[in-house]
Amino acid sequence: MGKTLIAKEMRAHLLSFRFLASFIILFVLVVLTAIVLTGDYVRKLDEYSGRQAEIDRYLRSYAHFNRIQNVLQPAQPPIPFLALIRGLTADVNMEAFDDDPLPVMFPLIDLTFVVAILMSLIALILTYDAVSGEKEEGTLKLMLANGVPRSKIILAKAAGAGLALVGPLLVSLAAGMLVIILHPRVGWTGLDWGALGLIVAGAVLYGGVFCLVGIFVSSVHHSSGSSIMTSLFVWTLLVLVVPNLSPYVASFLSPAPSRIKIARETARLTDVDRDDLGGKLQAEYQGQVLKDYPVLAERLSEAEVKRRVAEDPDYRKAYEANRAASERAWAEANRIQGDKAGLLRADLARKEEAQTDLARAISMVSPLADFAYLATDLSSTGTRNQAHFGRLARLWGQAFYRDYRTKKIEELRAKDPTADAWNTAVDMSDAPRFRYAEEGLGGRVQAALPPFAVLLGYGVILFAAAYVSFIRYDVR
Amino acid sequence: MTGTIVRKEILANLVSYKFFIVLLLMALLVATSLFIMHRDFSGRMADYQLIRPEPGEPIALVPPNPLSIFAKGLENAMTRSFEIGVTGIEVRAGQSSGNVVYAFFPAPDFLYVVRVVLSLVALLFGFDQISREREQGTLKLLLSGPVSRAQVLLGKWLGNFLSLAVPFLLVTLLGTAVLLFDPDVRFTAGQIGRLGLILALALLYLAFFLSLGMLVSALTRRAATSVIVLLFVWALLVFVLPNLGTLVARQFVSVPSVRALSEKREQTWTREVLLGISREGDLAGHWRTIGLENDRMEEDYRLRFERLVRLSRTINRLSPAAGFLDAATGIAGTGIDEESRLKTEVVRYKNAIIDPIIADRIAGRRDGRYQAFVYRYRPVSEVFAAGALFDTAWLAVFNVLVFALAYAGFVRYDVR
Repeated sequence: MGKTLIAKEMRAHLLSFRFLASFIILFVLVVLTAIVLTGDYVRKLDEYSGRQAEIDRYLRSYAHFNRIQNVLQPAQPPIPFLALIRGLTADVNMEAFDDDPLPVMFPLIDLTFVVAILMSLIALILTYDAVSGEKEEGTLKLMLANGVPRSKIILAKAAGAGLALVGPLLVSLAAGMLVIILHPRVGWTGLDWGALGLIVAGAVLYGGVFCLVGIFVSSVHHSSGSSIMTSLFVWTLLVLVVPNLSPYVASFLSPAPSRIKIARETARLTDVDRDDLGGKLQAEYQGQVLKDYPVLAERLSEAEVKRRVAEDPDYRKAYEANRAASERAWAEANRIQGDKAGLLRADLARKEEAQTDLARAISMVSPLADFAYLATDLSSTGTRNQAHFGRLARLWGQAFYRDYRTKKIEELRAKDPTADAWNTAVDMSDAPRFRYAEEGLGGRVQAALPPFAVLLGYGVILFAAAYVSFIRYDVR
Repeated sequence: MTGTIVRKEILANLVSYKFFIVLLLMALLVATSLFIMHRDFSGRMADYQLIRPEPGEPIALVPPNPLSIFAKGLENAMTRSFEIGVTGIEVRAGQSSGNVVYAFFPAPDFLYVVRVVLSLVALLFGFDQISREREQGTLKLLLSGPVSRAQVLLGKWLGNFLSLAVPFLLVTLLGTAVLLFDPDVRFTAGQIGRLGLILALALLYLAFFLSLGMLVSALTRRAATSVIVLLFVWALLVFVLPNLGTLVARQFVSVPSVRALSEKREQTWTREVLLGISREGDLAGHWRTIGLENDRMEEDYRLRFERLVRLSRTINRLSPAAGFLDAATGIAGTGIDEESRLKTEVVRYKNAIIDPIIADRIAGRRDGRYQAFVYRYRPVSEVFAAGALFDTAWLAVFNVLVFALAYAGFVRYDVR
């Protein structure tokens, strides 16, 4: 019986206008997005290799260790997944004078966006009248007049809608992937296929959640007119409002000081305040030295001091003790003030992290955010990848600054001991270059598990709610 | 007669479930958005007080714009501090946060609420005006009275527009009035005027979606069909077209990435400084070379970028949502043109004071005092001339066109 019901639901969907419209829109958009983003990806590849060539040229002629960190910065090469998902890689850079404001105004479209907005809307359109519509048409009574339990009906409705949603998605995505893999310059790997498979699973789950929202709402209302209103209200809140509000709400609940304020305070601590403290400590330490070496009390000119240091060994001892005291005082001041500034920075980092975690947790109430997180993390375009990139960059930094630079400077000094090792041009074309490799699938899956779990939880709860509500539904 | 229909529509709305849901959503969202964006503004204001340049400091910094509470636009980029040094402009990032969740979703400002959520609401007011009355059989009754179809359509439009616009204006004005209690949010008369223009534009935008709803309703036999068509049209107009438009424009105009530019700048900088040190020569000359090369790059970038903006704007005009966003951020002073103009002014400021800065540095003076940077927002007339007028007119044309089509559809509508 269950099979007959599912087949009936599927047939009803397949023949409907809404299914046709959904299919066409999804297909056109996914293919269009794939075409446009593939072109974008190829252009990014070209630009990346051009930039690397520039850096190579520079390294041969002008590289010097002072400020090399500004030129030789680890950069993320474009990855094939950019042909589908852009994630956090959009080219917005607030630190550059020539920032690119367009993506701020118009966030660029990609697969995540198509799924997040359109799939959820399609899911609601397919299901908003699942129960209330049949009641209005009177067919619900007929169906229940046969020996079919309500649980089977609601299950069949969910399954039918889910299948009607998955079909168009898979077909559209297959067409989009064809565009991508047929492009000679996109090297789509097995790992990418694996990640894509998981993202599709997430998309299906995401669509399923909204199918269940539709079915649940329709089994609460008695007219399809009200059920579409409520469905859209819920959709608006979950998709358009909660994610966008979440970081602001988190900043309210778990405040972090502004970065500008902390930068000002740490600058003052390590500059003006350090000078004050250093001067005070120096006076104190040198006062003690003076007690041991009363000879220092004499006021002498600089030339006089030099002469006496050279001639009088006692004076020289006193002079050195005095200098050591001064150095100790300043080192102490630097340490104390540095520690204070470090505490402030650590506090800022801790508070920002707490705020980020809270914002993430709040936003995960929204299935859209869940899907966005799992899709970007699985495709190496999200926060997980940022952390991974940071780790790789640190490793490269060690190889370059600790090993390579030390070696080169030693070579330089062996040749000419008086050479200014920092401001001399050195051929660095043999320097270790930053190599980016995507993280393995295991770590990415681990990052995607919590959002997966939330979506699954939503699914279970909504199904139970729909079932309970349908059991109590007055079919007349 | 039209008045009666208007009254009937308003009364019907007042008691409907739809109106209740919509009112709830509107009040909730407008209030939350204003509250949150106001907090955001206060944070930026506090930061501004901290980094505000002392008299004589060669720093270009614009105070936060209170209209950014309504239309955030590029405010974050505009309130960065641009410090002028011997080699040119150095950007200190403005207010930033380590909270990456901000990067995932667009800011929920008033403009977002109107552009995305309230446009959907306006559609919901229009989608079943004709098809639902046909389904219920009341359309026949209505038309059997001595009333023309034009009157019916106009009455329905006005009645629903008022049911939408009055609560919207009330909520917004109330929220704005609450904002005024904060002494930091000091609107000048000009800014109040700008706010009025943004509200008027928002009403025009919402009217378009109401008309669109009525058009589709007059072309379909069943309300269920019309809602499906409208939701797809809405998603295309509001989300897909504007965002795809800029991507498509990028296929035709090649603009170097921000990363490429900043790498190039660093290369020039370190190269010239190295040459300056190793030849023990004229450091000032090398500084000037850095400035010149950066200026050249910047100019080239600006030209390409402006071409990109023009093209994507032309493509985006297919969607009223993009036109509305461009025009409203333009009026608020947080738009793309304003940001680009600010940068031009910063470059001009740099050119005016770079020579004394270099001379002072060469002479070893660190306490030089320079003229202050003053930025005046473009007057509204200029904003309109630069495109907002076209956007507004375009929106009005869309409106009239859609309403005319709705009329044409309704005249031929089979009311049985």
